[in-house]
Amino acid sequence: MNMWSFSRRVLQHLLSQPAVRSFSLTPVQNTVVVERWWHVPLSKVGSPPRLNPRRHRIYKMVSDTKHDPSGKMELILTQTVPKLGGRGETVLVKKSIGRNKLLPQGLAVYPSPENKKIFAEELRLLREGKPEERIQTRTGLQTVEFLKTLKLTINKAASDEFQLTKEFVCRQFAKQRRIVVPPHALTLPFEPITELGDYWCEVTVNGLDTVRIPFSLVPYEDKSASYQRQLKAKRMQEEAADISEDAGKEDSVSDAAVEAEACKDSVSPASAGSSSESTDTTAPPSQKPENN
Amino acid sequence: MPFHKYPPKIWEALKLKQGIYARLPKHYLKSLEPKEPTPVHWKPLGVTYRANPKTGLKERVQDVPIPIYYPPESQDGLWGGEGWVSGYRYANNDKMSNRLKKTWKPQLFKRELYSEILDHKFTITVTPRTLNLIDAAFGFDFYILKTPKEDLNSKLGLDLKRAMLLRLARRNTELYPGDPVKREKVYDKYKQFEIPEEEAEWVGLSLEEAVEKQRQLEHKEPEPLLKVYVDRLVEELQMKKMLEPHVTEKK
Repeated sequence: MNMWSFSRRVLQHLLSQPAVRSFSLTPVQNTVVVERWWHVPLSKVGSPPRLNPRRHRIYKMVSDTKHDPSGKMELILTQTVPKLGGRGETVLVKKSIGRNKLLPQGLAVYPSPENKKIFAEELRLLREGKPEERIQTRTGLQTVEFLKTLKLTINKAASDEFQLTKEFVCRQFAKQRRIVVPPHALTLPFEPITELGDYWCEVTVNGLDTVRIPFSLVPYEDKSASYQRQLKAKRMQEEAADISEDAGKEDSVSDAAVEAEACKDSVSPASAGSSSESTDTTAPPSQKPENN
Repeated sequence: MPFHKYPPKIWEALKLKQGIYARLPKHYLKSLEPKEPTPVHWKPLGVTYRANPKTGLKERVQDVPIPIYYPPESQDGLWGGEGWVSGYRYANNDKMSNRLKKTWKPQLFKRELYSEILDHKFTITVTPRTLNLIDAAFGFDFYILKTPKEDLNSKLGLDLKRAMLLRLARRNTELYPGDPVKREKVYDKYKQFEIPEEEAEWVGLSLEEAVEKQRQLEHKEPEPLLKVYVDRLVEELQMKKMLEPHVTEKK
């Protein structure tokens, strides 16, 4: 095969630029890379280097990436996979999961330029297409499920001419539940809401699914620290009065009973207060944020 | 010492210049030219000149490839260009220590790989590097079709490549015969690799196989001489018959 040796050298010179072989120059992994212990003397241009049969066959292992932690691979999901994502999402998964589960079962495809283009187009259609063709996303469905369990309590504002507006409700969503509801996704009843009571509002998720959320409008409540402190002092006083009354009433009861009673009293104010406020809206307000 | 017209070293190469070898198709002969595979087990410098790390002066450098042994088993699997590095190492990684024989071998395992064009699952011996290359090429078929012969470095890989290219060339009859929709889809995906059927038939053949193929193409059944002479006689008689009445009519 010496006939080709010249042409081989020519080809080698031609192909010496790494850019020509860009495809196979992907990062080398799980492969042993060695180098010589002894330096090979420089040969003349065009002549092969002269190797010492003894020294130049002694190698040093530079790296063996077999024992490195295996990296992750990027895939595009074609279906909803629990704990990973929905159709069209690009996910980073462990190589073993990608190769042994997602790709053979057809749950995912490689992120090749064509596939990326297809799925980007699909996602764009989902977002901008006609309402009949659009499908709710996985996270959208999760949001809907969460919104169905939701119940809101809104405190009236301090002003006299109070009227419930969309912005006000949106702010309450953000404040109480950390939910971002843009005003255009929210629908309030047509009649202006000024009175206390129970109402409905409708939230549209991604412009597709509409969820009815009940909320009750409760009177204004001063949440400033000074007012809270006043309330607390008042409550302490009331408790003290209760205990003294109880002690005065039941002197003849045995010590054990008294102790039990005292325990009940000490527990009751907090629970009683919270339970009463959730139902009875006219009671003095306290600890509302903690309940939520 | 006898003298030859050509040195014995180049006889193998000269063989390709004459006889049936010279009649092999051009594209096949071109594919036989040896090319350097991508370095796998050593890091090339990639430059001819560089600054000396100690002195900072410009100096000429050269890549000296490390010889790699590809065992026969590598031809039956897809090793992704990996092979055995056999040589020596120093004990305790100490240059003053003993020299010990050492062969570094790749990690091998069997994997089921699905080919979309052939619509078949193959159980193939692979290395982790192969799997990474398949991922980098976005699929098994793309890996086989994109990778050049010297990097594939496996008879199995070349056979797969030939089979895939033939499927693409004969797509109307062989590519998903019962499913035209799927056929269109697969063909569109791998259209860029399509080559004419006459060329695809020769891809990845070993020299012996190619010679046998060429021999069969050129082969003709020997014709019995009796048949040849009978044919010739019949022809002559016909000529006579055609000539005679012509002459008699004129006379």
